Parts: sequence; structure tokens; C-alpha cells
Amino acid sequence: MRFSITGVNHKTAPVEVRERLAYDEHSLPDALLELKRRPGFREGLILSTCNRVEIALTSEDGAGSGVAVDEFLAHTRNVAQEWVTPYLYRYEDGEAIQHLFRVASSLDSMVVGEPQILGQLKSAYALAKQHGAVNGFLDNLLTRAFNVAKRVRSETDIGESAVSVSYAAVELAKEIFGTLEDKKVMIVGAGKMSELAARHLRRSGATQIFVTNRTHERAVEMAQLFDGKIVDYARFPSFLQEVDIVITSSGAPHYIIVRDDMKKVLDARRNRPMFLIDIAVPRNIEPSINTLDNVFLYDIDDLQKVVETNLKGRAQSAEDAEAIIREEVSRMMARLKAREVVPTIVSLQEQLENVRAAETARMRGKLGALTPEQEQALEALTKSIINKIAHGPISELRRQASEPEGHYFIATIRKVFRLGE
Amino acid sequence: MHEMGLLWLRIATALYGVGLLHALAVLIRKKAGFLKYALFAFLIGAVLHFVAIVELATAVGHLPVDNFFECATVCAFLIAVLFLYVYWRYDYASLSVCIFPLVFVLTQIGAMETPMLSWPNPGVRNAWLLLHVMMILLGYAALLLTAVASIFYLIQERQLKRKKSINLFTKLPPLGTLDNLVTNSMSLGFVFITLGVIAGSTWASIESGTAWIRDPRIALAFITWGFYLTMVFLRATAGWRGRKAALMAVAVLCCSALTWAAHVGLRTMLAR
Repeated sequence: MRFSITGVNHKTAPVEVRERLAYDEHSLPDALLELKRRPGFREGLILSTCNRVEIALTSEDGAGSGVAVDEFLAHTRNVAQEWVTPYLYRYEDGEAIQHLFRVASSLDSMVVGEPQILGQLKSAYALAKQHGAVNGFLDNLLTRAFNVAKRVRSETDIGESAVSVSYAAVELAKEIFGTLEDKKVMIVGAGKMSELAARHLRRSGATQIFVTNRTHERAVEMAQLFDGKIVDYARFPSFLQEVDIVITSSGAPHYIIVRDDMKKVLDARRNRPMFLIDIAVPRNIEPSINTLDNVFLYDIDDLQKVVETNLKGRAQSAEDAEAIIREEVSRMMARLKAREVVPTIVSLQEQLENVRAAETARMRGKLGALTPEQEQALEALTKSIINKIAHGPISELRRQASEPEGHYFIATIRKVFRLGE
Repeated sequence: MHEMGLLWLRIATALYGVGLLHALAVLIRKKAGFLKYALFAFLIGAVLHFVAIVELATAVGHLPVDNFFECATVCAFLIAVLFLYVYWRYDYASLSVCIFPLVFVLTQIGAMETPMLSWPNPGVRNAWLLLHVMMILLGYAALLLTAVASIFYLIQERQLKRKKSINLFTKLPPLGTLDNLVTNSMSLGFVFITLGVIAGSTWASIESGTAWIRDPRIALAFITWGFYLTMVFLRATAGWRGRKAALMAVAVLCCSALTWAAHVGLRTMLAR
């Protein structure tokens, strides 16, 4: 049996290629069934996301399944085989296992450590299982891959810190307030980025979102997204004391929140802390506000810096994660090799048993009548002789199975004992 | 001191005690329902306080401000009247957190010029002293927690303000959590220390009459308590939060450490 992974990802193929190769959820079941019909197929799984299309396959030995995958992809996606081949990578056996573990642990992702890929892999697995395309080897391997991903997540900091600006804002808010439950948010200026940040905040528990915008229609539109309240743009400063988090992204050419106003707001709030996020360029909030106590002001560059620091931290964690994966891969390989040696052990035992049975039968006639006790003793004697002989080779086979050069030893044993060619 | 005047003064102290209980309950539970009763008791207390001062004045023929105890009595009365005026005029009740304990302790000290009783037996005397020590120690423990949380707060706040090495300090609790911890442990500490101060000064007055009040170390203890009172007041009513409050908590801890150092060996001095 051979295990291979063939596919494209964001590193080997530009988006124009990936989008043509990607399977959508409707075409995926048909593709799986088509894959099952290919000659030499044993098990298969198709992972298709916006950053990768990969096909994991186990096939009968020597079936030349690599060619089949090129052809299969070209056929099912209606592209020329010569066009797709240059973008494809192919991993086999140990390398393929390592690749699968890295993908599951989000080390192969565009944003290293992002959590979605594991979920995507899990649904790909569920779909393949549903269509009877995985059983046995891939089943075990994927379960192992999910465990490895879990281990990487719990033993390294890879998924800890925020790596997008809007998510960094939420992380900082948690750093300031602890919990975001019953915190109020105001969005000044309805932009894409502030919408994202507000969405994250809302998901983390912020209760009330106020929206204000120069054009009323846009404010209404945005307020509907997270049943926010609309505040008249002219009157929004008087609402500031009500809210804990302010996100500004208006196109105003000058500061719309200045230091003196902020002082009054803080007095009115009796110094309950505030978090101001200014993602507008030019900036909307006077920078010196950050020197006031109990106010934390972050502009777009500050958030960007937080993201960069976090990314550097992730690179470090990724190294730790790679070490975990190397360890897991060699453990998996050892297990697989141990399994490979099982047929040899079985046929060695059969071979010896055959010799014993044949020789006993041949000699039995010459011994004449025996009591049942003597019959038993004869059986026991011959069995114990072959067991003693087999013991050395079998334990050595088990030991050699996980060694890199182990297959030479296995071949020797097969030859010496004349085990089925 | 005049007998009747002293009696009234002691009843006034007891009535102020209701106010003290209210203030402590507010600090521990954030909300206490009996402000109305506490204010009423405080008002009656102030009236009796006035009666006591008048009695004393007629007895000595002039305003009784001849010694520390009499000054404390008059001072407490003036503060009480001022508070009642402010409350009546501006309906500003949140001052009570600070005023109730202050007036109580001052009046209590004023009423201590003549010891009202002597120890029935050494067991009670020692138990009383033990109560004082236990309360103060509990108060110090809470205050230490307050100061540690405050230091964490200062570090975390600095990180967030400087917008650097966020990663390094993610292991510290969020600012909001620390601020809550500071508020709660500070309130609890204040309750213990106030009870400790009351127990301690009562013990000292019964034990050694009036001489102890002039000891600078005792003065230091009262100043520390006053400092603590100010901190609680600023936090509870003036909205001092965050960095300033954290710095103040650390300062109060230092002050308390001084008081502690000063009190080592005080018992031998007080023993007759």
C-alpha cells in the first residue's frame, strides 16, 4: 500500500489557478465517487479550501496513482492536464504524513496558526467517510492528525495572539476590561474595518452597539447588521460618556474627538476606563488623549504593530510546533513499520508449524501405540522446539521494524526461512 | 469631665456607630439598604453630642477645648454638623462613607478621657487585645493584596499605554479584573483596620488611661488610618480609579509598614 498527497496550495499556485481547481460543496461528493472508481484506489479524501486543493490517497502497490491524480484533477475540473501539472506538489509516505500533520496544525496556512483549517479538514474527512471513501489506514491517520493539531495548539502559543487588525482590537479590549459582557460600543463612521471589529466585539459579548455616520442611510444599514442603535452624527459627542469602546473610521479631515472633550467625558464617567480605536486616516482622535489616565487610544499603526509582534511570536511557536510534528511523524512511521512486519511474522510461524506438523506425521507411524499422555508430550515437545527457534527471529523482526534499514533484515529473514515469495 | 456630659457623649458615640456600620456595609457589599436609619441615628447622635458639649461648657464655664480629648469631641461635632448641612442642602450622601467612620472614631476618642470601666479579669483584657491584633493583621493582609494587585495594575497599564510587548504581559490579568480586585480587597482591608483601630484605642484607654494618646507612634497609627480613609473616600466617591488609585494603594501600604514597625514593642510601653 502507498500513501500520497497531491495538490496545490497558496505557495505553489496563484489564486487564478486555485480558484479553477477548487471544488465547491456540490461538486465534491461527485468527485469523491469518481475518485473511488479509479483503478488502484483504496481510500481517498479531498480537501478544498480557498488556499488549497489537496487529494490524499492510499492505493494498491505499484498502481502509479500519481499520474492518475493529475489526470483526475484535470478531468473533474475541466482543465488541461499539462496546464495543471506544474503547480502540483506530491508527497509520499512519511513526507505525506508530515504534510498532513502540518496542514492540520495550521503550520502550512497562509496565516500560520489560524484555526479554520482544522475545521475544514474535519468536514472533508466527514464527507469522505460518509461516501465510504475512508476506512482503515486513512481513518487512523486523520484521527491522529486531529490529535496532533490539538497537541500543537495546547503545547505551543501558536493560536494565542491576534494576527488581524480587527481581532487585535478585540484582544486589547479584553486586556483592558477583562470581560466584554455588558460593555457598550460606539462606531463613528461606517467602514468595512470598523464593521469587522464591531462584529468581533459583539461576538465576544458586547451588549449594545451605537452607530453614527455622516450619511444617515449608511448608519441605518450598518446598525441593522448587529441590531445597533443609531445616534445622530451631530450629537454623538454627548453619547461618548455612555460607551466603553469607541471605534472611529470617519472620513473627517480633522480630529472629531479632542483632548478637552475627552477630559469632560471621563469626569462624567467617574473615570471608568475607555478604549478608543482610531482606524481612520487621517486620524479622527487627538493622539495626546492617550496621555490621560484611564483612556487607551490605539490608532491603525499601533494595531498593526501589535499584529506584527504577534506574528513574530507565532514564528517562534511554529518552530516548537515543527518539533512536535517531527516527533509525531516518527512515532506514526514506527507504528506503520511495526504493522508492515506482521505478515512476515505470521508466515514465519506458519512455515515452522507446517514443518513440525509434516515431520511429526511422518515419524508418528514408527513410534507405535502411545498413551494419550505420551501423545500430548510429543505435541508439547515439538511445539516448544519451534517456538524456541522462532523466538529470536520474531523479536528481532519487531525491533528492526522501526529501524531505517529494517527492510533489509526483513528481506533476509524471508529468504532464510523460504517464506512465500 | 462632667458626668452627665460624658454619658450623652457615649450615647452619641453609640448612635454614630450605626453610621459606621452603614459605611462598612457599603464598602463590603457596595449597596446597603439602611442609609435612612443610619442618617437618622447620626442626626440624633449629633443632637446628643451638642447636649454633651453644652453640659460640659456650663460645667467649666467656657467652650471645652482645653485638652486633646475635648478638642476631638468638638471637632467631631463640627464635622457632623457640616455633613448634615451638606446632606440637607445638596443631598450628597456618598460622603457618608468617609464621614461616618471619621466622626465615630473622633467621638470615641473624645469620650475616652475618663476610662469608663476597668478590666473584669485578665482573660477579657487579653482577648480584647488579641481581637485588636487579629483585626489589624487581617487588614494588613487585605492591604498587601491591594498593593500587589495595584503593582500588577501599574505594570499592565504601562504596557497598554506604551503599546509595546503586549505578548510578554498577557499572563497578567486584565486591567478590569485587577481594578475590581483592588477595590474589593481595599474595602475589606479598611473594614478590618477600622475595627482594629477601634478595638485598639479602647484597649489602650482602659489599660493606661490618657497618657498613650500623646505618643507619636499612636499618632502615626491614626494618621495611617486617616490616609487609608482618604483613599477609600477618593475611590468610592471622587472616582479615583486606575493609575492614581493604584499609586495611592502602594503609598498606604508603605505607611502601614511604618506603623507596624513603630508598634513593635508598644505593648511594653502601654503596660502599667
